[in-house]
Amino acid sequence: MTAELPPGLAIQKVDERIMTLNVGPQHPGSGHMRIIVQIDGDYIVACDPDPGYVHRGEEKMAEYRNYITNIPHLERPVIHDSCNALYPYVLGVEELLGIEVPERAQYVRVICSELNRCIYTMYWLAIYGIFLGHSTMFMWPAGDRELLIDLMEKISGARVTHAHFVPGGVRNDLPPNFEEVCLRQVNYFEKRIKEYAAVFYDNPILISRTENTGVLSREDAIRLGTTGSVLRASGVDYDLRLKEPYDVYEELDVHTNVMKEGDSYARSKVPWLDMLESCNIIRQALQKMPKSGSVRVKLKPNPKGKGLDSVYKRVESGRGSLGCHIVSDGKVEPYRLKLSVGSFRNLIALPYLLKGEKLGNMPSVYWSLNYWPVEADR
Amino acid sequence: MSTDTKQVTSEEKPAAKPAAKPAANLPAFENSISDKIVEKFGDKIEVEFVKENRVGIKVDKENIHDVAEFIRDGLNYDHVESVSGVDYPQDKEIEVVYHIGSYSDSSLAKQILVLATRAVREENPIPGKDATKLPTLRDIFYSVEFHEREVFEMFGVYFTGHPDNRRLLLPEDWADLPPLRKDFAIKGR
Amino acid sequence: MSVIAPDFKLSGFIKAIINDAVWFLLIFSLIGFPIIMMILFFIPMPVIDGELLTPFLAFTYLADPTRTLPIVQAFMTTDMFKIMAFPGFGFAALLAAGTIFVERKMLAKLQLRVGPFYCGKIEGILQLAGDGLKLISKEIIIPAKADKPIFWAAPVLFVASAAAFVALIPVAPGWVVADVDMGLLAVFAVIGFFPIVTILSAWSANSKFPFIGGIRALFQMVSFEIPLILSLLGVVMVTGTLNLSEIAASQSSFPWIVFLPVGAIVFFITMLAELERIPFDLPEAESEIVAGWLTELSGMMYGLVQLGTYLKLYAFAALFVVLFLGGWNGPMIVPPFPMELATEGIELGPVTAKIGGLEPLLTQVITQEMLNGTLMFVLKTVGVIFFILLPRGVFPRIRVDMLLDLGWTKLIGLAFVNIFIALALVYAGVLGPGGLQ
Repeated sequence: MTAELPPGLAIQKVDERIMTLNVGPQHPGSGHMRIIVQIDGDYIVACDPDPGYVHRGEEKMAEYRNYITNIPHLERPVIHDSCNALYPYVLGVEELLGIEVPERAQYVRVICSELNRCIYTMYWLAIYGIFLGHSTMFMWPAGDRELLIDLMEKISGARVTHAHFVPGGVRNDLPPNFEEVCLRQVNYFEKRIKEYAAVFYDNPILISRTENTGVLSREDAIRLGTTGSVLRASGVDYDLRLKEPYDVYEELDVHTNVMKEGDSYARSKVPWLDMLESCNIIRQALQKMPKSGSVRVKLKPNPKGKGLDSVYKRVESGRGSLGCHIVSDGKVEPYRLKLSVGSFRNLIALPYLLKGEKLGNMPSVYWSLNYWPVEADR
Repeated sequence: MSTDTKQVTSEEKPAAKPAAKPAANLPAFENSISDKIVEKFGDKIEVEFVKENRVGIKVDKENIHDVAEFIRDGLNYDHVESVSGVDYPQDKEIEVVYHIGSYSDSSLAKQILVLATRAVREENPIPGKDATKLPTLRDIFYSVEFHEREVFEMFGVYFTGHPDNRRLLLPEDWADLPPLRKDFAIKGR
Repeated sequence: MSVIAPDFKLSGFIKAIINDAVWFLLIFSLIGFPIIMMILFFIPMPVIDGELLTPFLAFTYLADPTRTLPIVQAFMTTDMFKIMAFPGFGFAALLAAGTIFVERKMLAKLQLRVGPFYCGKIEGILQLAGDGLKLISKEIIIPAKADKPIFWAAPVLFVASAAAFVALIPVAPGWVVADVDMGLLAVFAVIGFFPIVTILSAWSANSKFPFIGGIRALFQMVSFEIPLILSLLGVVMVTGTLNLSEIAASQSSFPWIVFLPVGAIVFFITMLAELERIPFDLPEAESEIVAGWLTELSGMMYGLVQLGTYLKLYAFAALFVVLFLGGWNGPMIVPPFPMELATEGIELGPVTAKIGGLEPLLTQVITQEMLNGTLMFVLKTVGVIFFILLPRGVFPRIRVDMLLDLGWTKLIGLAFVNIFIALALVYAGVLGPGGLQ
């Protein structure tokens, strides 16, 4: 009887002491996913993440659209970080088609990418704040994020879904006077996020409840293949902007932020430090950018790959390494497109970390994994 | 980014490189990696391509477990970034591509080792109960756990030895073809 | 340009007004009037000018202020008025409504936003009324497997417990609903009701998240009641009484917070925990257990629980004021009412308007002491409420094991320290007989 049922529908027998909680998908602390948690008293004995509630088949859709019409929908999995979401795809298509990108366009891409990283991280931080019951930390980042959204709106014309990167450069040149406005807003933004330390990161209650919870050791972080801030919070110095620099990152002075603790607190602090670093990168890029020049290479209509070929390109997004594996068979559409996203890779750590934790630590551990459910589902 | 370091060693790609680039021997480090694997396994494997920072290797499914073990223990790769399935209906095969990287060895930080293997493809798939099976790599690389679950539901490739062969993204009551196969057509397209 | 009511006709307007008036008169005479009569039949009416006030006489008097004011005075001294309006429920509900508004606006300013803004034109002052209307108009959904009678009763019990708590608070000298000698013990007894109501509601909902929330609330309230009670013992020792009015009156020269600051701090922290406010809002931690024990409550049931919560907040703040901040005591800042206006009447040129019955009202009921005491009490209470609201913008939520650790080890220890301080003060003769008071 039960053997005929699909695996997820089979009724599992559990101990009478154990209570099974469906955290999500309609739960304020889950996002667009379900975490099936089994608790014994206040302790979690097992945890089974069940993503897929916002699976949109981006990979299947990409097989039906050509290389240019794929651009707008590929940023949909994570609209707050849309430039970074498109970045590996654009790099991969450029390698497939053999396009050289003008230098100014590369700098514009770096600026957009860093701005988007901050926009995403602010949104993530806002939710992290409200997950811990800190409503001020929900409102402040959500408000200060507007500074950078305004900048991105000036660049691309859209507040969140920019679709600004295209194979061969960026869609439009920067607006006039952008450098001054950008510098001013980024400086103010940096001043604002430094204030967050006083209300959030140095808050004794926050420290006492997130320190030593959900500790991911360095070895486990490597073994589980986590990425991004989760990896760097566990003491692994790995940032693709440094390790495998794409575009003009090798000409910029990039520092990574590494913490050794590997607990929820470190995982929540590393993205914040990354935002401060992003401000530095934006300032450097504004300074070093060529003041004029082309930002886009004209492509032929309906560009095609050269026969059977495959590329795997990756960038450092707000959630870690974001890879794009494109298989081309010489047609105008990609034969297969696979997105390897940081959220999906970090999700594997969730059951590992939650086992034996207290139920009260579930939101902080879960969201400190820098997990974006929509991106993980694609 | 420059693409002029691309070098094709496989015979399958005659279309590439009309004019041979002068920097054809640039990816020396990458060549040394592929040489090590060739030295160990000989003709059990096939080097698909050696590009800048990327080494592509093709293995039969009988040998993939040993090759993966050597990649971990002998070459210091330690995690899998991505597992993609690629459906080739004309070959009646499904290719599963592992992108393997390394955090612990800083000389390998740029490198991605692309390990590809192929499974038999059946026209009327019964996921988990037909011949579309591959040995799992989870006991070697723990990080493939969710990726292999995804490939199982999206392509119907059953990974023997995987401890948790459940669906991940698709709903539990999905009763259609595995959706990323080429013969699963989107409506209206 | 829009035209208001383009089809306006004066005849139709008059017709509508007459129509409404007729219906109002009909309904009032058929239903309203009998109800008023029935109510008045059961209320013992006062004796005015040697004449028992009957309902008919009361309606006759309504036209004449010299006869109405004694009725008002008589009404203000009834228990019904005390329970429903001034020191009791109505007053507390008014302060609670103000608290909700202040909380929203203050939190909004703290978080760089505007808060309620549109409803009621001026800074969203009618937002609460709007929310209340919304809650009343919403459907009440009961879980299918809930224990329905208990589930229905729990919100009402919650409000009733909060109102019982409010009834024990003395607002001004003599203005208290229940002036019992064992007032503080009664307070402890009433506080003991809240975890029971909470666990009843949570258990009867027959749902997992309310159950966890209810268990957490039970843990939290029960374990914080012990430091709460211990922290108040110091005040009882130095005053030698359990009567809240006497405790408040004993602080005419200085409040007890001067001598017992440790007790005040312990009481404030336990108060936050009993009120389930951030950082102790574990029973309602929305990112862990949806809304905790409130998850299955809907519509006005939820509204009632919120009302009860804010009544409880007022009552705890008022208890803090009575026990540690001197209750109604304070400088006399309300000016005395110019009594010659009441005795000799108001002269407006040639006309002299003399309102009889104002003088006894002002000398016996609404006295200067009462007004000043109420003002002082309200000022202090609002200050304490402000400090209760403030942590919500600053702190994240703590975890249940940290909470229990705090309650059982640190706070109980501090409460004992407070008791020793009080004992030392009494035995050294600083306070008590022979001391300052």
